[in-house]
This record gives sequence, structure tokens and C-alpha cells, in this order.
Amino acid sequence: MNCEVCQLKELEVEHFEIREVLRCILHTIVFHRALGLVRPKVIDLELFDITYVQCGDGELEKKIDEKIEQFISWVEKHPNKKSQVCISFYEVKNKHPSWFTNKTERLYWEQWYINLNVSQQQKVHSGKSHPSKIVVDPGENSLEERSNRRAALESSLREVLFQIIKFVNEKKDHVPPISDGVVYFPYEITIPSSSDSAFGMDMIKRMLQTGHPTMLS
Amino acid sequence: MAPHSESGKLEQVVSQFLLKSLHIILDSRIPSLHPRDPTCDSRVRKSDKWFNLVLGDRPAALDNLNFWHRNLMDPMIIDIILVQQGTAISTSVGNLLSGSPGRTATETVIERWLVQFESPPRGTASQPSEGSAASYKKTYKKSIIFLRSLYLQTRLLPAYRIFKQLSSSSQPFNFDIIYKVSSFSEPFSRVEEEMMKEYRFVPIEALPGRLHVSVTYRPQLSEFNLQPLTTMPPKIISDYVGSPATDPLRYFPSSYKGDRAISFPSKVMHSPTSVPFQRPHSWTSGFHKPVVNHHLAGSPTVYRTSQMSYDSPSPPMERMQNHRRPLHQRAPFYDECQLSPPFSPSVSPSTPTYLRNSESPRQTRAISETAPVTIPSPISGRSSRYISPNFSDPSKLSLPPLSPRSTRLDNSSNESPSGMRLIKKPEASRADLGSAGQKVLKDNKDDSGRFSGLLSSSDSPRVGFSRSSSKLSFQDDIDDCDFSCPFDVDDVDPPDSRISQNVDWKRNLESTSMGRKSQDAAVGVLVHMLRTAPPLRQDSSCYSSRSLRAEVENDGVATTASGFFMPRRTSDALEELRSYREMKDLLLSKSGTRVLTREPP
Repeated sequence: MNCEVCQLKELEVEHFEIREVLRCILHTIVFHRALGLVRPKVIDLELFDITYVQCGDGELEKKIDEKIEQFISWVEKHPNKKSQVCISFYEVKNKHPSWFTNKTERLYWEQWYINLNVSQQQKVHSGKSHPSKIVVDPGENSLEERSNRRAALESSLREVLFQIIKFVNEKKDHVPPISDGVVYFPYEITIPSSSDSAFGMDMIKRMLQTGHPTMLS
Repeated sequence: MAPHSESGKLEQVVSQFLLKSLHIILDSRIPSLHPRDPTCDSRVRKSDKWFNLVLGDRPAALDNLNFWHRNLMDPMIIDIILVQQGTAISTSVGNLLSGSPGRTATETVIERWLVQFESPPRGTASQPSEGSAASYKKTYKKSIIFLRSLYLQTRLLPAYRIFKQLSSSSQPFNFDIIYKVSSFSEPFSRVEEEMMKEYRFVPIEALPGRLHVSVTYRPQLSEFNLQPLTTMPPKIISDYVGSPATDPLRYFPSSYKGDRAISFPSKVMHSPTSVPFQRPHSWTSGFHKPVVNHHLAGSPTVYRTSQMSYDSPSPPMERMQNHRRPLHQRAPFYDECQLSPPFSPSVSPSTPTYLRNSESPRQTRAISETAPVTIPSPISGRSSRYISPNFSDPSKLSLPPLSPRSTRLDNSSNESPSGMRLIKKPEASRADLGSAGQKVLKDNKDDSGRFSGLLSSSDSPRVGFSRSSSKLSFQDDIDDCDFSCPFDVDDVDPPDSRISQNVDWKRNLESTSMGRKSQDAAVGVLVHMLRTAPPLRQDSSCYSSRSLRAEVENDGVATTASGFFMPRRTSDALEELRSYREMKDLLLSKSGTRVLTREPP
């Protein structure tokens, strides 16, 4: 089956909002792709009046948080840029030697692109704060402008979540069978690397690795 | 054979799909259905394994679904209904007592979920055997994905916000959410429809049919003016009755709103059914007894699973009501005592017995509000003795702790002075009380002190120890006028506390004893207040002679007990209520507020 790709609506976020927004979206996506036994964990966002659902898997949460921190570091070095975070789900196919790998091959069957437009405020906060702590960035914007922007972002984030729901319900045939004992499909989160060109190369590499489309179910 | 088993499996998947959907929706809309945090429960039930989604205990109501929803083709319509008070909150006990609340409740359907398995008519669609072998598996997998998205969707819709308000706050609100499940529903009026939006999920393939799920919802709920009630914060009153945190065995409603499941059977019981109170295609019984349907004329049964919070004064009483026993064996009690103070009809959903009286929730609550709260001293949780005399069945320890004094009075006089004790049956015999006392003693050694004398007088040999050390002599106790001031327990004192090790409310005692010292000063004022308070009944000596004073003074002065049992009037009760409120305020101001933040169950 072809690799299904979903481009999520672009979100304009401020630096301090990245963590919550990314966490929300990534967990939502993984929750819908965690088809093993899951005890859902409902999380209320602090910055927005939105509730999302996690798998409740601690390790997953840690990995996602690590990636988010990496992304935030990258954003600090590349301010005011549009960026993408990509989460891909793949199947592992054994031992087909190829150009790039000689062990296992990853067959990506789904990719999600989270498009962010990070607007940097005056003060930059590093990303080492506690995951649950929200650092509010005192920018130059007036309060009203800020709250408008915040409301718009909340509405957009909600739309993105609806977008995810719609996508997962529309396209189900490409989802591989669920293995016993496995809670969620292998996934990979890709963030822009240090240089744009390298990021592009990563994409090409992944496309090449995808290999032939196969019927997965 | 294979097709049969395949179709049988598909039916099973569809049936479980319906159950799971209902579970997900109710979990995120009805606060009282899941008092506990399901994530704390690490058990994985059989129902959890379906669709790989652990949701915890299924609400009891779901158990009925399989019964009424016999035909898988029937749609399952879940209405989420917002119930709001129609008039200003009135704390008039008279209103409540009279049974005419004087307030109306407005019910609005804020969400309507439709889950339906649509199958092509037989004969029109071929049933390919080659595809059907794995079709139910595909359906199952797709359902898993779908139910994940349903789980999220229910949290994204506007109704989730008000559900969160209700379930996370210990404050009472001026609204409530109930639900109704049926296989038919009245269509929305044009006006209503215009105010609602629809969201349709992509149909799930369930060969040979499909599963359709859609929701019609109100995108805006701000027009409903949903807010917490501002009257008498229950948390303050909770100081008087103790706190669930300190006395976990005491059951309190999940919120001050109370936890009442009330079923409103459809007025039209025309459909034949083998099950009483059951109508085909509608939710009828379940775990409640049917109650008169006040508001939903002609509509299928509605489950009111949480109590409207507009009867704000009642929560403390309810709490006290529930104090003794989580078992809520109050039914007989209600029979006997019209005034039924410890009213708390609010009970955990798992114990339907409290719904013996078929009054409306409001009425029940009204009743509950009539009796003035016997504000047991927070100091003493050993009031089982207080409770027991009131019951011919000592096992019904559902009354909140009363002061020992009052209890004793009850024992001796068989009259219920006020509050809960009022409820006492006039003919309650001493023997009854004695036996009750015995039982109480069983539960609460703490009470033995007081009881010892009492019981002995009732020919109850059981009573072992004599707490003659109690400051109040037995005689005093008997002579005490009914209702005691919470501060009665002052004299029941510290030494007693040691005895109450095995008592549930010991914890409560401990928590409140800390404040006792600081309340002593307030006690004097309180006593004075009570003494000078206008009589609630003809023999006002009951109050004024209350050994409260004596107890405070520690001299065990006997007080004359007049006839305690007087028929109470609404105004009496109101007066008493008012005086207790004053008491409470006074206490609070003196002792500092010990605010109990009640965690929503």
C-alpha cells in the first residue's frame, strides 16, 4: 500500500507554545496508531482549553519529549522559520540488502507532517524547563494582540486535531495488522536537522528506503 | 457453517462496538458514572480488552443495553441532556417540604449521538464467503481505530467542558447533565436544529453492512449561563460533619450535588415487554427504580445520574446521612420517618435501594433538607450511638453522628427531638434502642461510655464498660433534650477518642479534634445562642436545656427533658436551619476555616 501522507494545517506558534502544541499533536497521532491494549490518559493543555489523549505509555512520552526538546533547540538556532516535524510509521522488513541498509528495511506506510511557523519573541527561552512548566514569554505585543493570537492558535490546534481524526477514519486500509503484545507501531519522529539541505536529504533518503508499495493487510 | 460463525462474530463485534461507544460517550459526559479515576485502576477487565481500549468499569447502565437493544439494526441514540434550574435557587425549606419545589428545570439536549449498524436487506446483497472470512477482523481493526478517534472526539466537543466542570469541582452547580439512551428519539425542532451542528464520522465497514456514527451537538454552550451555585458552600458545612477524606468509609456523594440515579420511566408504558419497567428500545431500568417522570413526558426513560445541585443546603445533610454506612440501608427508615433527615437520597449509583421513595429527586432532597442538620461536633465521630436509636434496625447507621446527648435522649424518650432524631418513630421502644445501642456499641466502642449506662438501663447486658468517666452522667444523658448541639461532644471528650479506634469515623474525630480546642471558645457563644434561640417546638426546653451547656461546663448537670417529639413544621425546621447556619458561621469564624476540598470521586 502506498505510504499515506497527511499534511497538517500550519500553526503559528510562539516559542513557548511549541512544547505543548507538539506534544498534543504527536500524542494524538500516536494514540490513533497505538492499536494494542491502551489505557488512555486524558491530558488538559495548560495554555489552551483543549484536552487531548495520550496512550499512557511512559516510554513513549519520554521519547516524544526528547524529540520535542531537540526540535526546540533547533528552533532556537533557526529562529523565525517555518519548520516541519514529521512522524512516520513503518514496518520492518527483514534483511533485504539495499543501497542504504543491509539489515532491515523500513517500509513507511504513513507519514504525518506537522507544519509550524515559529515566531520568535524578543526573549528566547531555552528548552530545558520541566515539561509541564510553561514559560510565558513576555513579548512586545499588546495583551489584546497576544490573546487574539492565542485564541486563533487554539482554534487552529483544534482544527488540526479534527484533521487527524478525519484522516485516521478515512484511511484505514493501509494500516498494517496489529501484532500481539505490541502497543503501537514503530514510529520515527524527524525534525529538521542542522541544515536545511540535510533535512531535504533525509527526506530523499527516506523515500528511497520506503521501497515498493505493498499490500499490508 | 463458516458464514454463520462469521456473521455471529460480526454481530458480536457490532454489539460490543455499541457498548464501547456508549461507554466512551457516557464516560465523558456523565460525571457520576465514574466516580473513581479509571487510570488508577490497573485491572484490565474483559470489557476493556474489546477494541484494546481500557475504560474501566462499565457503568451499570450498560448492562441493560444488551437487553433492550435486541436488534442490532436498531439505532442507538444517546441524548446528552443539560438540566438547568428554572428559577432562582431557593433554600426555603417550606417549599421543599411541601413537595412543590417552586422551581422548574429546563432540559436541553446538547448532544445527540447516533450509532447505527446499517445492513443491507437480506437477499439484496450477496454474502461472499471468500471475503467474509476476514471481514469481521477488518471491521474489528477499523473499529479499534475509530473508537480511538471517538474517544478523542468526545473530549473535543463543547459538552466536555461542562462535564469537566461538574466532575472536577466540588462545588455545586446550577446545572446537571443526564443522558437518555433509546432506539428512537423525537427529532429536533427546526429552531433546535438550526442551533446545532452535525459531525459524521466516516462509516466503518462492517461487511455486509456499515457502522454509522454521527453526533449533532450545540457548538455554543455559553448561552446557558452555567455556573457554580453561590449559596452555602458545602465545604464549609462539611466541617461539621466531618470530612470524607478523614473518614473514607463514610460515603459521600461524588459531589455535593449528590449522586442520585433516578430513572424516569416513560409515561407511556405501552410496549409489551417481559421486563417490568422496560420498554423496548429504550433505557428503562438499570440501577434505579423508576421515578415519576416529571419532565420528559412521552420520552423514553431518562437517567438522572447526578443530582442537581440546586438544593444546596442539602449536601451537608446528605453527607451526614451517608455518614454512617455506605450501604445506605435507609429504605425502611424513610418509610417511617417522613422527615427523613439523613436523607441523603444521594447515594452511590451502585446502591439503588435508597430510591425506595418514588419521589422526585427534588422532593427527596427537599425532604432531606427539612431536617435540620444535627451538626455533630467534628470532634466526635462516635456518633453511631446517635444514629442507632433512631432506627429500629440498628444496621441502618446512615445518620450522621449526633451528639451523644441527643442520642441518649432518644433512647430514653423515644422521641426524636430534632433533625434526624425527629425522625424517630414514636413507638420506638427502649428495647429497640437498647438493641440498637448494642449494635452500635459493636461498631463503636467509643460510644460505649455513654451507652453503657443507657444500655444497662435498657437491659442490655452487652455493654461492658461503663464510661462513667464521661462527664455527663447517664442520667443526664437520658434527660437531655433531644437535639444536641454538636458541642455536646465536648464532654464526650478526648478520653473517648482512644476508644474509637475501630470506628470508621475515628479519623474524622481526629481530624476535627484538632479544632476542638479552638472551638471551645466558640462553644460558649454557641451555647448561649442556642439557649436564647427561639424555640423550634413547643417544648423549647429541649434546646435550652440541652446539656450542651452542661457539657461545656463539664458538670453533667441534668437537664430536664421535655417531650422532645413534636411534630415539626416547616417553619420550625427553617428556624433550626437558620440557627445552625449561624452556629456554623460562628464556629468557622472562631476556629478558622477548615476547608475540606473534596476530591471528586
